[in-house]
Amino acid sequence: MVAKLINRYCLLFTSALLLLLAGCAGAPKQPLDAVSSAGIIADQAAKPIVSGNPAVIALLDRARIDTGMGKQEAASSSLERALRIEPRNAWLWNELAQVRQAQGQYAQAISLAQKANSFAASDRRVQAANWRVIGNARVAQGNTSGADQAFKRAAEFEQ
Amino acid sequence: MKLPSVPWNNFLLILKTFKLNPRGKAFRLSVLFLLLGLSGYIFYLDITIRVAFDGRKFALPARVYARALEVYPGVKLTPAQLVAELQALGYHERPEPNDAATYKYTLKGVEFTTRDFVFWDGAQAAQHLRIEFDDGKVSVLRERGSSEHDVSLLRLEPPVIGGIYPGHNEDRALVRLEQVPKLLIAALIGIEDRKFYTHSGVDPRGIARALFKTFTLQRIEGGSTLTQQLVKNFFLTPERTLTRKANEVLMSLLLELHYSKDEILETYLNEIYLGQDSNRAIHGVGLASHFYFNKPLDKLELHEIATLVGMVKGPGVYDPRRKPEQALLRRNIVLQEMVRLASITQTQFIEARQLPLGVIQRAPAGTSPYPAFMQLVHRQLQRDYREQDLRSEGLRIFTTLDPRIQKNAEQALSQRLRQIELTRNIPSNTLEGAVVVSSTQNGEVLALVGGREARYAGFNRAIDAQRQIGSLVKPIVYLTALEDHQRYTLLTPLDDSPLLLRQRGTSDWEPQNYDRKFHGQVPLHTALAYSYNVATARLGIELGIERILDKLHRFGIERRPPPFASSLLGAFELSPYEIAQLYQTFADGGFRTPLRSIREIVTAEGKPLQRYPLNVEQVAEPAPVYLLTAALQGVVSVGTGLSLSNWLPAGIHAAGKTGTTDDLRDSWFAGYTGDQVAVVWVGRDDNKSTGLTGSSGAMTVWGEMMKNNHSEPLQPAVPEDIELVNIDPLSGQRVSEECKTAMLLPFYKGTAPTKTSTSCAGQPAVAQKADAKPQPENKSWFQWLLN
Repeated sequence: MVAKLINRYCLLFTSALLLLLAGCAGAPKQPLDAVSSAGIIADQAAKPIVSGNPAVIALLDRARIDTGMGKQEAASSSLERALRIEPRNAWLWNELAQVRQAQGQYAQAISLAQKANSFAASDRRVQAANWRVIGNARVAQGNTSGADQAFKRAAEFEQ
Repeated sequence: MKLPSVPWNNFLLILKTFKLNPRGKAFRLSVLFLLLGLSGYIFYLDITIRVAFDGRKFALPARVYARALEVYPGVKLTPAQLVAELQALGYHERPEPNDAATYKYTLKGVEFTTRDFVFWDGAQAAQHLRIEFDDGKVSVLRERGSSEHDVSLLRLEPPVIGGIYPGHNEDRALVRLEQVPKLLIAALIGIEDRKFYTHSGVDPRGIARALFKTFTLQRIEGGSTLTQQLVKNFFLTPERTLTRKANEVLMSLLLELHYSKDEILETYLNEIYLGQDSNRAIHGVGLASHFYFNKPLDKLELHEIATLVGMVKGPGVYDPRRKPEQALLRRNIVLQEMVRLASITQTQFIEARQLPLGVIQRAPAGTSPYPAFMQLVHRQLQRDYREQDLRSEGLRIFTTLDPRIQKNAEQALSQRLRQIELTRNIPSNTLEGAVVVSSTQNGEVLALVGGREARYAGFNRAIDAQRQIGSLVKPIVYLTALEDHQRYTLLTPLDDSPLLLRQRGTSDWEPQNYDRKFHGQVPLHTALAYSYNVATARLGIELGIERILDKLHRFGIERRPPPFASSLLGAFELSPYEIAQLYQTFADGGFRTPLRSIREIVTAEGKPLQRYPLNVEQVAEPAPVYLLTAALQGVVSVGTGLSLSNWLPAGIHAAGKTGTTDDLRDSWFAGYTGDQVAVVWVGRDDNKSTGLTGSSGAMTVWGEMMKNNHSEPLQPAVPEDIELVNIDPLSGQRVSEECKTAMLLPFYKGTAPTKTSTSCAGQPAVAQKADAKPQPENKSWFQWLLN
């Protein structure tokens, strides 16, 4: 009975979504170039400048490639090297927290995100990113109320 | 395991022979038992020799490396520091530094070529580089060659700082037979055992000669084949007896039965004893090549090969460093023999014979120059690895040691102690000390000194000395107070009037201040700056002793001090290393990072084995730790650490705490800058009085070392719930920024004084003299109130 109801809602919801999409498609088309260039600009704005030091950037790039390949230990190793060069770089600590999260080490992820916060000064974006890590780690730990709080704080910093 | 190869067929044959013999049964039986016993003995020898051979074949010590120096544009580094690092790595100065491990100075910097190296995260190929410097920093880092381009980061090979050797402190660098120069093998066989490839382990003529000499009561002597020498080397005992010789012969025969000539030769080349470096035995041609010529085996030239081979006969007699004449004569005999056997040409012979020995005068570091740090590494490893694997598997261990900081720490300790003994008429060499330095944000141990004789692997005071810690414990009391921000700020008055405590289980306790005075009401930060015992004890009792001891545990002190009030003043023992852990957590804003000395471990084949990752746990909120750090900066700027300014520029804003124990037995200083946490202990091994306080002893070592480390200024990030307020030290009230004597004090938001003073240091704010310095006595506004 309940399942049926859910099914019906799903159907309703899906058709509404389809209608909406169709509406979008019907809207006057923007020139493709403008869209993509706007996308790139948005992308650049989304990526924070983690460091002005090319050595740190090189290590960060390497860490991200390793993370992409699932080589979390290698990524940690590169991030720790970067942190030896810039030990007070909140973004690097955040990055390490994310690697620990991916490794399933949730308590470490939270601690590292907290540490990242301690170096965040007034950078609201890194604070938001840290609270996201804390929220996700708490979800994984089964701490839903704690996670909600963390996501709320992340949202505050994102505003 | 294979069954022993005792010649059973022959044995049976002999038995049959005896059966045909018509003699008595008893005799037959006794012969049978004799033979059984003999074959049992051979069986025993067989197992012994094979265990020895298989076990030693690949026994490689773990090799321990210091940190790899990271070089990038902008890093603080001078040409001299870079070249010192290159020289420590065994680089040579060359006019054209294009071979691996060579360098030359240029007008603006250094050109060099690195070596291939396998790191934990993969292999790194050799690079041709140019580096330029400007103002104490690297300004240019470029790859040389056809396609010049900027390099953003270079990781130099890490210097080897020691090994964990198999039993008897034997060191070796294992080589495969194919890596050994053909000439070396030819020379070795030519000189030592010409019939090596044809005999079956022993040379019957040699044995006959030996037997003859023995029975004619002459000296028992060699005639040993390479196989016999190898067997001898396995069971190094100096005795020369007939039984030993017999065992040696039997074992040699057995060895040849089980293993091929190449296997035996390879093991021989890795096993042969070729000299001594204090307590380290040099085994094998691979290591000897580094030890005498500082180059890999395959780079040896003919005359060097001949020198090594010549030494086989007697590494002591033909030691090219201590007995160069004998070594040279012997080398030329080897060359002569080689030309006679046509291993080399006449021209090669003549050329080689004219050359000097070519040994490097100082042997490269073998047993570690950093015994105290190595001991720390070894202990950490023993928790995770079997001792046997450490000593035989050839593990490569990458550690956190920074040789530059280590050197500064060693020098500061030895020089300051000598100086202190001189100026204070203390008998020389009675003071001892220890230093631990770690990096503030990641807890890596950068340096560890276990005594003033840093090269001497004796008692490691940094990790094994248990000493009363005195006032070093106080910060944890004040931190516990500051965490209760409703009740305590840096200005909260503490009571420093006489105190008598009656506690069950101990005698009455009546703490005294160092100056034997009581100071009445003093602001919290002043009580810490001047290390007032009574105010601290009263504060700690009020907060709860158990609560403070719990906190100590959270901050990384694993052993729990006794639950007495005297523990609040540090009447319990810890090692300098444990103190470093505690202050690490203060320095790191309340994040506890277990101190680490190892980063990674790689197998002999270069496969990553284990990483010791950076782990962090938040054990205190950032705000109270920030307040504590401000108070500890006060210790250095106005309190018991004031004279640190004789060493360190005030701009470093170091935070720290002095510690002095009863009768001046222990002198401590623990503190931190922006990038380093360091603990220094000075005292005597017999626990007698040193006559030194924390500031007149340990702190001077700390200052001297930190000055040379060029430590970064301490500027902790301001937590969001902290505000900085200008305070008039006299009135303890807010004051305008123009007041020059005002101090900027941090407060938990909403806890700063609300009243604003109209005067400045007792004067109307406008008439304030710019150069007036606040006197410590004047700093207490409570005293001012009471006066």
